[in-house]
Amino acid sequence: LKRTAVAALLAAHFVLAALLAACTNNPYPVSDDAAKVLYLPFDDPPKTLDPQVAYSTIDHAVIGNLYDTLLEYHYLKRPLELIPGLAEDVPSPRAEADGRVAYTFRIRHGLRFHDDPCFALGGEGRSTREVTASDVAFALARVGDPLVNSPVLETLEKIVGLKQFGERLAERRGADPAFAALRIDAQYEAAAPIEGVRVRGPHELEIVLGEPYPQIVYWFAMPFTAPVPWEAVAAYDGREGRPSFAEHPVGTGPFRLARYDKRARIVLEANPTWYGVLHPEWQAPGAVYPAQGEPEDAARGLLDGRYAGRPLPFLERIEMRRDKEDIPAFSKFLQGYYDASGIIQESFDRIVHEGELSEEMRAADMKLVKGVTPAVYYLGFNMDDPLVGAAGGERARKLRQAMSLAIDAKEYARLFMNGRGIPAQSPIPPGIFGYDAAYANPYRRVDLERARALLREAGYADGVDAQSGKPLHLSFDTPDTSARAMLRFQFFANAWKRIGIDVEIAATSYNQFQDKVRRGAFQLFMWGWVADYPDPENFLFLLWTQMGRTKSGGPNTANFSHPGYDALFLEMKNRPNDARREDLIRELRAIVERERPWIELFHPEDYALYHGWLANVKPMGLSVPTSKYRDIDAPARARLRAERNRPVRWPAALLVAAFVAVLVPTVRTYLRERQ
Amino acid sequence: MLAYVVRRLAYGFVTVLGVLLFLFVLFFLVAQPEDIARKALGEKAPREAIAQWITNHGYDKPRFWNADAPADTMLVDHFTRMLTFDFGNSDADDTPISQRLREGIGPSLSLSVPLFVLGIVLGISLSLLVAFFRETTIDRMGVVLCVLAMSVSAVLYIIGGQYLLGKLLRWFPISGFDPSPDVVLRFLALPVVVGLLAGVGGDVRFYRTVFVEETSRDYVRTARAKGAGEGRVMVRHVLRNAMIPILTQIVIAIPFLFTGSILLESFFGIPGLGSITVDAINANDFATLRTMVYIGSLLFIAGQILTDLSYTWADPRVRLE
Repeated sequence: LKRTAVAALLAAHFVLAALLAACTNNPYPVSDDAAKVLYLPFDDPPKTLDPQVAYSTIDHAVIGNLYDTLLEYHYLKRPLELIPGLAEDVPSPRAEADGRVAYTFRIRHGLRFHDDPCFALGGEGRSTREVTASDVAFALARVGDPLVNSPVLETLEKIVGLKQFGERLAERRGADPAFAALRIDAQYEAAAPIEGVRVRGPHELEIVLGEPYPQIVYWFAMPFTAPVPWEAVAAYDGREGRPSFAEHPVGTGPFRLARYDKRARIVLEANPTWYGVLHPEWQAPGAVYPAQGEPEDAARGLLDGRYAGRPLPFLERIEMRRDKEDIPAFSKFLQGYYDASGIIQESFDRIVHEGELSEEMRAADMKLVKGVTPAVYYLGFNMDDPLVGAAGGERARKLRQAMSLAIDAKEYARLFMNGRGIPAQSPIPPGIFGYDAAYANPYRRVDLERARALLREAGYADGVDAQSGKPLHLSFDTPDTSARAMLRFQFFANAWKRIGIDVEIAATSYNQFQDKVRRGAFQLFMWGWVADYPDPENFLFLLWTQMGRTKSGGPNTANFSHPGYDALFLEMKNRPNDARREDLIRELRAIVERERPWIELFHPEDYALYHGWLANVKPMGLSVPTSKYRDIDAPARARLRAERNRPVRWPAALLVAAFVAVLVPTVRTYLRERQ
Repeated sequence: MLAYVVRRLAYGFVTVLGVLLFLFVLFFLVAQPEDIARKALGEKAPREAIAQWITNHGYDKPRFWNADAPADTMLVDHFTRMLTFDFGNSDADDTPISQRLREGIGPSLSLSVPLFVLGIVLGISLSLLVAFFRETTIDRMGVVLCVLAMSVSAVLYIIGGQYLLGKLLRWFPISGFDPSPDVVLRFLALPVVVGLLAGVGGDVRFYRTVFVEETSRDYVRTARAKGAGEGRVMVRHVLRNAMIPILTQIVIAIPFLFTGSILLESFFGIPGLGSITVDAINANDFATLRTMVYIGSLLFIAGQILTDLSYTWADPRVRLE
């Protein structure tokens, strides 16, 4: 029996050794080692892949690669600059009668949709077809269709007749069930026309706006206006086991959806029928790597001669794997199994020292790229509030100015964001026209003496109302009840406490908060805004009367209403980027500076970390697809991954030894007992 | 026996009806269809889209009573659909729920079945060992280790396992899942090891108690008096007689193999049924949640019945009348 035991032990040892030899922490098949595959993690699955509906970052991260837009942004130039995408050129506005403005888009010839069985609806045996102006018109009709529920309808209603089209559709559907049962293209046909969307020919589309809105062109660089085939919307209706269009995209982009297992794995593969692949001779701006960029780009390796003018895309595939928890995702990035990543708070100090990559990370050939997000975070006052708002007159203004002088945005960014934020002086972030790095807002530095003096002038000496003798008691309203958020809000409350103002944090459920905002029953809040497009209008409109939250449900949550501001804003919004516009922005800024509806906090900085084998990384700030410009040095990646992930085997031997050490005396005792 | 099974099934059916009624009250009376629709479509969704969504999901019918067509109410709809396993579409993204269940069952079972089987084998063999060496150093060390293992939170095992075996020793991927047969094992190894460690302490303590209690019975003394060796006594006599309490614990767990482990699946990124539940909670997906609760209750009832039936098999003295 002793011999059998020894033999069993040896066998166990060998099995374990064999298993260990097969051990690897590589989550991918070896066959993909040599392929140009970009690996990215995602946490929450996309909500929808319908380009007219999708609004979240993860949605755009997927569909940005699947749906090309008429216009795009230049990959390297800053401030961001529009270039033609599916269109031949970037159109200029043309004035029409009654103050209307028209834009003509010329669409490239020979563009094709992704291969998909849905095209059989348009003719037996068809698997794709050419993209025409009608497909863009169809996309715009979808934006106007109330059943599609596009989040940008309000903005695009500036297109003449889009709103009426939606109303006609809703009316006919409501009145006649037979109409509602018609195929979608027939419904749109019957409810046509949309006055401001004119298809002039298969490759020419005219868009007419009721009023000047120069920013409209930016909306043609977003998926909301991307051409969509009616066949796909008709075929994928989500009924009788058919997928819905939101889960089955059919686009025109450089990648197509190869696998959509959205709770685990999303795979995009290069589209062999993309116009950039079929027609490299066009040298279309959206289909080749740019030869020009910012002056610093050469030093960053972004203007490498190997890439300039080369047809895109460089990647064969994009593999997105779901990692719900950010710590394992980041660990896998460090092991080389994801190519790029943000930096998690827990590891920040290990990765970044004084704004630069740590020694350890540099040694691992890691790269860091920082970019300021075109966004602004701020504390706002409800200007409709009798105490802190406009009705409070000069007293309230001085109170707001004093409170602004008490908040240290730099310290906030240091404590809560690892310093990843630039203290904001005005609503306009860097990289946007009108941003002035030299401007220092006199109310956005910390000056407690001045703040106390202002409070005295306002009749709130030491936070006590001189008129009533009662101490000031303000309320900070928030829908965020997490412990983490409480710490942050407490930071503000403590700052105000130092000038004698007592601020209570009123954290409620999201619904209750929404209700308070709707009723205008709030005083202080914290909010952020991320740009839709790189234009100052997209920030300054946040304080325009017409956007008032309580009255019209717009994003002006401060309910700021100032006739002088409105007049300047209206003039600024329609101007090209010239000196006059700059002056107007300066005047607008001065109003905000004095009136203090906001206490500007910071413009967040994005730190993107990536491995040296990933080439051509430049953040855009906006949620715009960049994958087609990226490249992977697959052999280098495979080599480094193997080097860094060699399994450590000795603990296994130790484990076996420990097992034997326990087993031998046990067996001996057992044998003794038997006798 | 047959009469007993039929009776138990009938009781079970009544319980299921009660669960369904409870779900109806919870999901249809407390939550308003319009609120659910707004959660799915966004605060600013147009009226038409909300109305269409509510109609598509069948939430526009009268709740209890429809004078024109008594069968066309949400209550009847809810009961018939659940009882015929027609779960409809998700509230969050309109995908068919049954399709998602089919997709999730494979990954869930591929983790829960090996974990279950290995857990039993490991638990029973270790507890036989400590029961055999009861009142010795081995037994006492076993107690310490088991209590230690039981006191540590499962999340710590997960994070510790990922750190030690995935990050430091690089034996297994830290997280992820891929069902293709050539790589699936490497993804399952770590969650199985972690799951075993997290569960083994409690199992060993429980089984040991059962075994020790059995070893003090008369028949054990008789067996020894006949001259049976200790090993034979433990395996042939004690193990067999200790089966009833052990079976209760094991059989009742079998149905839940299908629901997967919420914690393990979430942390290791395994797209099984456990993570469907978590996703449904996060996405306000009431339809999927309702389905998962219903399936959970069905499996629980099935587990109860199976346990009772397994007694007769384990112990011929038990008669089910």
